Amino acid sequence: MSRRLAAISATLIFLVCAARVGTARRPRYGGVLRIEIAATVKSLDAGAAVASPAEADGRDQLNALVLDRRAGDGMPPLIAPFKMAEWEPGKHATLVANDDASGGRPFVASVQVEMGRTARDRTLDLELGKADLAEIPVEQARQAADRGVRVSLSQPDELLALVFPAGRAATEDARVREALAAAIDRASIVNFILQKNGEAAGGLLPQWSSGTAFLFPTAADPDRAKELWTQIASAPKLTLRYDSGDPLEQSVAERIVVNAREAGISVTAQALQAGAPAAGVDGLLMRLRMPSPAPRAALVNFLSVLGPVANIDASPLPDPATPQDIYDRERAAISSGRVAPLVWLPQAYGLSARVRNWKAPGPGETWPLADVWLDIPPSPESEKEKQ
Amino acid sequence: MTFRAKLFWVFTFALLLSVGMIAAGVTVVTRRAFEDLNQQHSDALVQQFQREFERRGQEIVHRVQGIADAEPTVRMAIDLNRPKSDVSIYVNDARGVSKAHQLDILDFAGNDGSIISSAEWPARFGYKLGWVTQPEDWPARGAFLMKAETPEGPTLALVSVATVRVGDNNVFVAGGQRLGREFLASLVLPQGMRALLYLNLDPNFQPTNLLDANGSANDAERFAPIVQREQQQPGEQTASINWTSDPATAENFHALPLEGRQKELLGVLLVGNSQREVAVLENRIIWLALAVVGLGLLIGSLLSWWGAARVTRPVRELAEGAHKVAGGNWNAHVNVHGGGEIGQLGRAFNQMTQQLIEQRERLVQSERVAAWREVARRLAHELKNPLFPLQTTVENLQRAKEQSTDQFEEVFRESTGILLSEIENMKAITTRFSDFAKMPQPELGPVNLNEVVRSAIKLFEAQFGAVGRPPITPELHLEENLPTIQADPALLHRALENLILNAMDAMPAGGVLMLRTAHANGDVQLEISDTGTGLTPEECDRLFTPYYTTKQHGTGLGLAIVQSVVSDHGGRITVESETGVGTSFHIDLPNHPPRREPSIPITFEKEKAKEGA
Repeated sequence: MSRRLAAISATLIFLVCAARVGTARRPRYGGVLRIEIAATVKSLDAGAAVASPAEADGRDQLNALVLDRRAGDGMPPLIAPFKMAEWEPGKHATLVANDDASGGRPFVASVQVEMGRTARDRTLDLELGKADLAEIPVEQARQAADRGVRVSLSQPDELLALVFPAGRAATEDARVREALAAAIDRASIVNFILQKNGEAAGGLLPQWSSGTAFLFPTAADPDRAKELWTQIASAPKLTLRYDSGDPLEQSVAERIVVNAREAGISVTAQALQAGAPAAGVDGLLMRLRMPSPAPRAALVNFLSVLGPVANIDASPLPDPATPQDIYDRERAAISSGRVAPLVWLPQAYGLSARVRNWKAPGPGETWPLADVWLDIPPSPESEKEKQ
Repeated sequence: MTFRAKLFWVFTFALLLSVGMIAAGVTVVTRRAFEDLNQQHSDALVQQFQREFERRGQEIVHRVQGIADAEPTVRMAIDLNRPKSDVSIYVNDARGVSKAHQLDILDFAGNDGSIISSAEWPARFGYKLGWVTQPEDWPARGAFLMKAETPEGPTLALVSVATVRVGDNNVFVAGGQRLGREFLASLVLPQGMRALLYLNLDPNFQPTNLLDANGSANDAERFAPIVQREQQQPGEQTASINWTSDPATAENFHALPLEGRQKELLGVLLVGNSQREVAVLENRIIWLALAVVGLGLLIGSLLSWWGAARVTRPVRELAEGAHKVAGGNWNAHVNVHGGGEIGQLGRAFNQMTQQLIEQRERLVQSERVAAWREVARRLAHELKNPLFPLQTTVENLQRAKEQSTDQFEEVFRESTGILLSEIENMKAITTRFSDFAKMPQPELGPVNLNEVVRSAIKLFEAQFGAVGRPPITPELHLEENLPTIQADPALLHRALENLILNAMDAMPAGGVLMLRTAHANGDVQLEISDTGTGLTPEECDRLFTPYYTTKQHGTGLGLAIVQSVVSDHGGRITVESETGVGTSFHIDLPNHPPRREPSIPITFEKEKAKEGA
């Protein structure tokens, strides 16, 4: 008897809870989604020059939301989910839901995009409820989460690597490059600087993409670094460049300096503006964002960037390429010693409590704002529609 | 140099010496006073530095202890005490805490000394801060100096360590402030002083490590010797730096070693005192001294001129009087000023000249008496010779008259002949005396002394080689370019004849008669030397005395005449003689004889003659 009563009670409780949960999860229409980004997009023209990769990314994200896309031969175009209502270049954009969108009308009524917001302002606005969605520096993601911000991380799709430009006498000796690469403690970078939001990188492709990343060691070997350095007759003083506007690069560069110093290697970190010529620099930190989750496409893209700088073989891979082809080319690039992968970085987003159905975009993907809805009290109009 | 000039220079020198000594004394005293003052300033600044150092140290101790006692730090310690604790979440804590507590240096370290978070070098997390785990009573230690590592390189910092103990584990909190430009800027410095800090972070002197309140110090290389001395032997030292050749730019530096926990030299505090004020003051003193000297010289020269004139006028008059006396004017008289030493000297001078005049008059009188006596003696002697034959002859005549009338005629003839002869002789004697008395005044005209000499020698040529007489060889050494002089040739000829006759008389056995003429300074000189028997010194002394003769039949007037002629021509005659060798007469004749003064100065020779008389 008691067992039966217990079963009945449990069933009732389950049904009540399921009903409540089902009610909370049901998407709602309406509301203004407030987004803050770091980039200052000055033009939506795809052919216009951009000042930084972040501006290009921001432009692409906005265009993906408001520009119709071709679906294929003979197929009608895919109507964009939003329409541009207001456009103030470099500052502000207001997008309104497009009722004719191919995938159906977006849940949110409009999207307000504030551009050029600093990381501090974005985080504060998230904490204060003034923003619903904002990019967060990955190294601050844990701290933001500790302060109550919902954090959404993408797959680690951005490689931070130390690249040795070709033509520098100081790094022509492969032992110099190898010694410095061996001295770097990637685990500490991940654990302390990235606050464990990232992965140590040994290869040019992440484990989730290629499946072969584990074959590239990531552990520091300071003894090996010291041994190599002592073999060099006239040990050079190396200069390491980082983007002066990127705190993460600065922290990583300073950590590399500390690691190198402990191994007896003299390295000086030098801040330079992004895009400045790399003349007189022995090593530079570069961020390489995967354009696609496909390993071949990502590797080809990376090599096309690294090739001119570090004189790495950037010849096209077979298409389709086998995993062995990809691994061999990746191995060749790493073996050249011209590039030392450091860490894989995810993209971090801060979300307000009312944002629902957000999924951090992967490589090559855009913000899925058409699927996002806001958990807000239903408006009278929507209630009438419902009735 | 006159007495007045000497007095002026003595006065000036004394003034210069006194002013110079006063200026030097004032300068030395001033310099010492400034040095003492600078030393006091340096000591005060060093004490201020030490007080500020201590105050900062206490402040840092307080702040670090406050951080260690704060809730987040205690929570961190508790968290780290848990198994599998994640220290990465604290990696950025130090930076914020250090800013909040105004610390340049802040490290959180785990129980093994591993850095959990570092404010000055955030990237150093995970590495060991080994020294904090050394056995040390950190609260008792207080603040201390240490070499802190930063991304920019090592720096000097005043740090303190506090521990947070939870369970068996410690969390070390090491925090502090850089010791550098800001610290120096916080020191209150008196005018003319500055403080510099050398960060002894390298084994060798590095100019960039020397800081002042504005950053890197200028001309830091000049401090290398001071710093190196401190590096070799730490201790309080002083040194001076002359920045330029201008002494006003010099600075005295007081070096104070700054030591760390292990007594290692970590820094050197340099307290500089500008010497500008001293130099300016010394300059002013020197200029003032120069002005005083200049004014003193002006006043002194006037005073000394006036004073010297008053003092030296009697002396000058005395000198002039003495000069007149030396020139033969014994009537010189000086005015007596006052009753002091100068007055007494003037009176003594006047008394002396008066006595000289009186003595001269007495001398002339006695000379005159002596001369008359000599004349009387010579006259008696000369007259006695013919008188005796006259008397004898007259007595013979009388006797012949009385005794033998037959022979009377014959005796009469002989006696009258003798009488006439002796009378002639007496007439000759009187003539000679008369001639000497009637020595004529010279009639001057241009005369070549060589011609006078040749003429006189020619006169005696026959006698030099006369038969029955040993020959006398004349030697003439006459200067060809002998200038003519104003003289009386007849008198000179006569004097020369007497000298030649004298020489011939002195050479009865023959010999050489040498005559030499020469000239010097406008005067004409004549030397007559013989190789005769010579004279004794006593004879030389009396040689020119009238009627003095060494010869049996001489009158003693020859050399007196010579001396008279020479004297009338303004010249002088001297004699040198050596017994058995010969005699030399030296005559100096002026080109133009001076006008004869009424009172003729007594020449040396006359003096000799007087003494002889």
